Amino acid sequence: MGLKPATNPDVEAVRIELSIDGKSVTAQDGVSLYDVISMTGKIIPAMCYHYTFDPFGSCGMCLVMQEGKKAPVRSCTAKAAAGMVIRTEGEDLFLARKKAVEKHLSVHPLDCPVCDADGHCELQDMAFQHGVTNLASAKQKFIPEDTRSPVLDFNMNRCIACAECINVCKDVLMIDALQFMKKGGFNQVVPKGDLALDCEFCGDCLAVCPVGAITNKFSKYLYKPWQMKTTTTTCNYCGDGCQLHLETKDEEVVRVTSPLSWKNKWGDRSETAKGHGGLCVRGRFGFENLDSKSRLTQPLVREGGQLVQKPWLDTMDLLVGRFTEIKRQYGADAIAGLVTARCTNEELYLFQKLMRTVFGTNQLDSSARYGHMNFVLASKHAVGLGRTPNDWEDLTKAKAIILIGSNITETNPLTAVRIKEALRVYKAQVVTLDSAITNIAKLASHPFLIKPGTEGAVIDGLVKAAIDQDFVDEETVGKHPHAFEALRSAVADVSLERLAVQTGLSVEAFCEIAAIFAESTRSIILCAEGIVRRTNGYQNVLKLMDLAWITGKLGRTGCGVNTVTEEPNEQGAVDMGVAPEFFPGQARFDDPAARDRFARAWEAPLPPTASSAHLVEILKRCKSGQIKALYVLGENPLATLPASMEVRAGLERLELLVVQDPFLTDTAKMAHCVLPACTYAEKDGTFTNLEGRVLRVRQAMDPLGESLPDWHIMTALANAMGCRWEYQSPNDIQAEIMKLLPGYYNLSQPRTVTPVPDQYLSTGYETEVKARYRPTPLSGELTRPFALLMGQVLMHSGKLSTQASGLITIAPNTGKLRMNIQDMERLGLQDGVKVRLISDRGSLQLGVQPDQSIAPGTCFFPEHFNEPPVKDLMTVSVDATTGVPSFKQIWVSIEQV
Amino acid sequence: MSVVALTKKILQAALFYEIWDAMKVTFRHMLHRPMTFQYPREQRTIPDAHRGALGLLRYDDGHERCVGCDLCEAACPSHCIKVISAEDTTRPLQRYASEFYIDITKCVFCGYCVEACPVNALAMTKMYEYSTHDKRSLLFDKKRLYDIGERHLDDGKKYLYAHNQEKNVEQSREYRYYFPQSVQKSTQPPPKHLS
Amino acid sequence: MAFEDQRTTVYKVNPEHPESETLPTLRTEELLLNMGPQHPSTHGVLKVILELEGERLVKSTPVMGYLHRGVEKLAEDGTYHQFIPHTDRLDYVCAMYNNFAYCRAVEKLLNLQVPERAEYLRTIVAEVQRIIGHQFWLSAQALDIGAMTVFFYCFRDREILLDWFDELCGARLTTSWYRIGGVERDLTPSLIDKLKQFLDYFLPKIDEYQVFLEKNRIWLGRTKGVAVISAEDAVSFGLSGPVLRGSGVDYDLRKYEPYSAYPKCEFSVPVGKNGDTYDRYWIRVMELYESVKIIRQCLEQMQEGPVMADVPSVTLPPKERVFTNLEAMIQQFKLFSQGFDAPPGEVYCGTEAHKGELGFYIVSTGGGKPYRLKIRAPSFIHMGAFDHMARGYMISDACTIFGTYDIVMGECDR
Repeated sequence: MGLKPATNPDVEAVRIELSIDGKSVTAQDGVSLYDVISMTGKIIPAMCYHYTFDPFGSCGMCLVMQEGKKAPVRSCTAKAAAGMVIRTEGEDLFLARKKAVEKHLSVHPLDCPVCDADGHCELQDMAFQHGVTNLASAKQKFIPEDTRSPVLDFNMNRCIACAECINVCKDVLMIDALQFMKKGGFNQVVPKGDLALDCEFCGDCLAVCPVGAITNKFSKYLYKPWQMKTTTTTCNYCGDGCQLHLETKDEEVVRVTSPLSWKNKWGDRSETAKGHGGLCVRGRFGFENLDSKSRLTQPLVREGGQLVQKPWLDTMDLLVGRFTEIKRQYGADAIAGLVTARCTNEELYLFQKLMRTVFGTNQLDSSARYGHMNFVLASKHAVGLGRTPNDWEDLTKAKAIILIGSNITETNPLTAVRIKEALRVYKAQVVTLDSAITNIAKLASHPFLIKPGTEGAVIDGLVKAAIDQDFVDEETVGKHPHAFEALRSAVADVSLERLAVQTGLSVEAFCEIAAIFAESTRSIILCAEGIVRRTNGYQNVLKLMDLAWITGKLGRTGCGVNTVTEEPNEQGAVDMGVAPEFFPGQARFDDPAARDRFARAWEAPLPPTASSAHLVEILKRCKSGQIKALYVLGENPLATLPASMEVRAGLERLELLVVQDPFLTDTAKMAHCVLPACTYAEKDGTFTNLEGRVLRVRQAMDPLGESLPDWHIMTALANAMGCRWEYQSPNDIQAEIMKLLPGYYNLSQPRTVTPVPDQYLSTGYETEVKARYRPTPLSGELTRPFALLMGQVLMHSGKLSTQASGLITIAPNTGKLRMNIQDMERLGLQDGVKVRLISDRGSLQLGVQPDQSIAPGTCFFPEHFNEPPVKDLMTVSVDATTGVPSFKQIWVSIEQV
Repeated sequence: MSVVALTKKILQAALFYEIWDAMKVTFRHMLHRPMTFQYPREQRTIPDAHRGALGLLRYDDGHERCVGCDLCEAACPSHCIKVISAEDTTRPLQRYASEFYIDITKCVFCGYCVEACPVNALAMTKMYEYSTHDKRSLLFDKKRLYDIGERHLDDGKKYLYAHNQEKNVEQSREYRYYFPQSVQKSTQPPPKHLS
Repeated sequence: MAFEDQRTTVYKVNPEHPESETLPTLRTEELLLNMGPQHPSTHGVLKVILELEGERLVKSTPVMGYLHRGVEKLAEDGTYHQFIPHTDRLDYVCAMYNNFAYCRAVEKLLNLQVPERAEYLRTIVAEVQRIIGHQFWLSAQALDIGAMTVFFYCFRDREILLDWFDELCGARLTTSWYRIGGVERDLTPSLIDKLKQFLDYFLPKIDEYQVFLEKNRIWLGRTKGVAVISAEDAVSFGLSGPVLRGSGVDYDLRKYEPYSAYPKCEFSVPVGKNGDTYDRYWIRVMELYESVKIIRQCLEQMQEGPVMADVPSVTLPPKERVFTNLEAMIQQFKLFSQGFDAPPGEVYCGTEAHKGELGFYIVSTGGGKPYRLKIRAPSFIHMGAFDHMARGYMISDACTIFGTYDIVMGECDR
């Protein structure tokens, strides 16, 4: 339609002048007239318009009078042109709009009493505003309701054919799961091909539907919009940190709505670069765990091999006694703690303070250790910045994006939407390098399929290609000639041809990717689980830094090496110092100045650096009997780590295992004492998302049963242990963090820090880089031909989402191994056939199912489910520098049973 | 002032004339029948428009009228109504009130809920004697409300007529069965009044 | 006992100045007496702290708030429509007039025209309510002063009207019959007949009430020259209604800011001369006659017509259309769940209730709920003059003075 927003940074749109209601207005050429009018603050009713996508022009409400034309024109589909004289008000226009409403009303059923949208319905608003009474001829449609999809019901009797759902799906999300179809004499919205809806189920169509034509199955008929209490909070599922509205009625969460809604349809199109306000399936439909029946509501204490309910007072008394006893008997180093990155910043801060000052141990870690620490430590080492340098806006406006080892539409769906917008609006070149046929690869301009586990080799190739093809930015490398020389000699032995065989990419592909990356003005690398959660993650991130450095992208606006986080607050966990290496603010734990500062601030002696231990080390020490008491806050190492880690044996040796969790997890079942914690809906606080933005978490309901927020429990514990912590609310903790880390709470504003690699390049780089590009031996004839990968799927996040019944309905645990259809045919396997999966660690039997996103030679099992325990086939390799355990990939063979 | 008038005035004052005047009225009333009646034995006749206890009504064929639209809850000025709606498992795609509570201790008997109800499922009855020793029993649940509606069905209907909520029994009897007005199967015939 | 102790100390020579050879003076002190809040003649839960010098009132401080329910705040929580039942509970003996005053204020805010028949109905019912109000006042005032008989006769006749209300709107006291834009339901022929019958019956009854009081020397002694307030003072205290007119100020909103069907009726406004309790009594009795006159004229002039304005954005659709018609259904749902969209602005509208000027002040910032609602309750304003009017009178007159305002605590405390 040619009405693309003129917000592309490369395009300088012509300014034109036109007159609206007698006032002269300047606007960009070629944008929709409707946008220009709404920019002046004048709101014309429109039912099919939404600023996130191009005007469609079906509702016929946005009529304006243009001088020189007899009939009113639809302002949304009209382009603003110089010299236009527009009138937006008047009796004639009111009547014309009224007629348009009447047209929609005349085929609308009398459904208000039962419709979920009643009270939040644009058609109602319009009819009421325009005073429609006495329709001449009303005709009903009588279309059967489409209830085939597990999530959404389509009631096409109520549809006004505004196509907002189709447009948002096609344009913004690029999923294209809906279409119009003429059926029964009416234009109806149906899932593609009129089959049962099968899509990403992000529910943005539901959000933009101005009437009740699309309804949510999980809250259908349970509510009316006016009954709900709305709390704006931050999503708890992934690191995107989407804002969402939890709508509660009494003490239950009825539904989740997004800032994206037909209600706020007037906006600046360029603002969507910061996010379009939508949600993904997890955020929108994964709310049922919040008030689920399986929540813990009372403390549990192990008595005679059984966990029995106990009052808080007795439990705390017992706990304090045991902790004091263990500390007295074995010393502070007998205590360790693990925390999940799903806690708020305040709680994470409190946790490390509790471990370090109250228990006096530096054996603590968070779930950021499962991968994000690789990136943080590498980035901190190289450029002095322990987080991602770019925000969503940079990502959207990038001209070249290399997505390496990232199935981003599944792990971080809303970051993926940013990349989709980069593709669609800003015409970015997107290179995907992954061993699976990912969703984003289908949309990307340069999708490449690589062999599993060769991400590191691919980067070697890219660095080599960049140097060989002279994509080197002379100015940048000129500042550190020795470093560049060291790098050049390090990659001298690297052979692109050999890498091509190893990775499955062609030599030309290496050169092409390097060219795309180097020649774009705004280039971003996004590495995710394929890099940071696999072996050599730390080195691979540093290699990416090298690539960015030599091409001159390090430190330049809109460029950088980024990652995404799996849990909502992994960045916050690192920032709050829940890692043996770090104090809050990522100050080194062994830095005497920092030690001094924090010891004074906390008025307590700090544990020595020598006994520090990270996750893997803690589990090892548990097993060796060195650690006697483990305080596990929301973490679930037993269900996460493969059996080869011998977590169970370690936990069994403990004298005291305390688990604090909203649910009775596998780890909690082994605990001596289980404390019921609250979910994020029941507490205040903040999350730090993957951009480094600090986002508010707000309390939407009272704690369920006798559960308490984590900060409350920790404060009580610390006070019982003889400290004087006077935190009355998360605000008090925030105040303390603010004092220690000034400027951390710049709420919703990402802090802009330019990455500076100079220190890194000038000292020690030469020795370091030599070892980095050592070629990995070519794997010869494989005894085990398949790469078994474990990873996230879109509908789930960690183990938490398995408690959300809605998400389980959408994506239940099939218990089947996902394989490429060609592989299955080759092995003669049918869907559902049982196979034996054999790795070096052992074997198990399970069914197989075909999956289009699985590349030949690989097979996949979602990491969220342990039934069957596929994870136990994995071996664990621990990164020497960062201590990150990687256990998501292994070679297996598959035999039909 | 004339002597006569003055004398009369003095005489009246001396004899407490105005008291006798008033006594006359009082004594006359002794011959009237008493205005009062003995309550528990004799009952007031209550007008049709009377706003008494609320009851839920059914259609003549026994279907619940209420579709659980929660509008009564929104209309109630004292927030004494609580409706919990759900999908009727016996009739798919039909919304109904799975639970319905009226806290009659909070109710102000304004009749707004009846006015709001789009299916005339609620009506006020002439029932006003429900005092109890247990305050908890004054939280009327769905069963109790249907009981009241059944026992006082005539009152309820009369109330609706008196307040212009419903013209007569025949009027608008059929179409209200169909909420939502969607059909489950395309072969299903549309409701009679709409075809 | 406390009295005894005080008396002994009074005669003591000041111990700090034993050398002072002055005669021991008789120290007198005022007696503080709490009247209410559980006093039968305070018409509810009013407490007045009386400072007495002997039996004379030196100062009296009304303490209010025992019946405070935060009605004004409640108004901010609901739609405009939802507040009508709350107004019933202001002056709970005369709910109709509160409904009337509130609806008029909202209509003024919305600039809404009420159909003519509805105006007549409103006037009729408001005057019936005035009769009830004055009957109630008369009975209570007489009872306070000691005349029991009038109380019974007034209540006998009031009962007829309350039953009439019951038949009209379904409740005897908490009526909620007025609606924004009209009234809830029309008078049925039987109601009109009953009203006409009542009026015929009622006129001689007014004379009957007066027989007991008009010439009764106790009544005259207790009311004439009691609680006198001059016209200037009455105006400056903001008094209104019979209390103001008793002082000779001819001020009646029905005449001077005519509203509803009052301009179409002929009636006179009785005005007193002395500003004492007796004059106020006389005015109220005279107003009973005037009310009867007004009702008769209205019944005569009233034409057939709608009783609700037909403004789809404000008034409810007829119920039978809701069942069949989508627009009406939408209107019904929007109005009940969100209310009508009032224009931003402030409005004050005073209405002549039988107690005085009952005013509603509404601040709207747009949307379905008032931003602020303030009630100018005559009872409350009148209590402000209590100290002034009671000063110097006997303690027994305190009851008379409460009564003469026609005070109702529901309205006073709100």
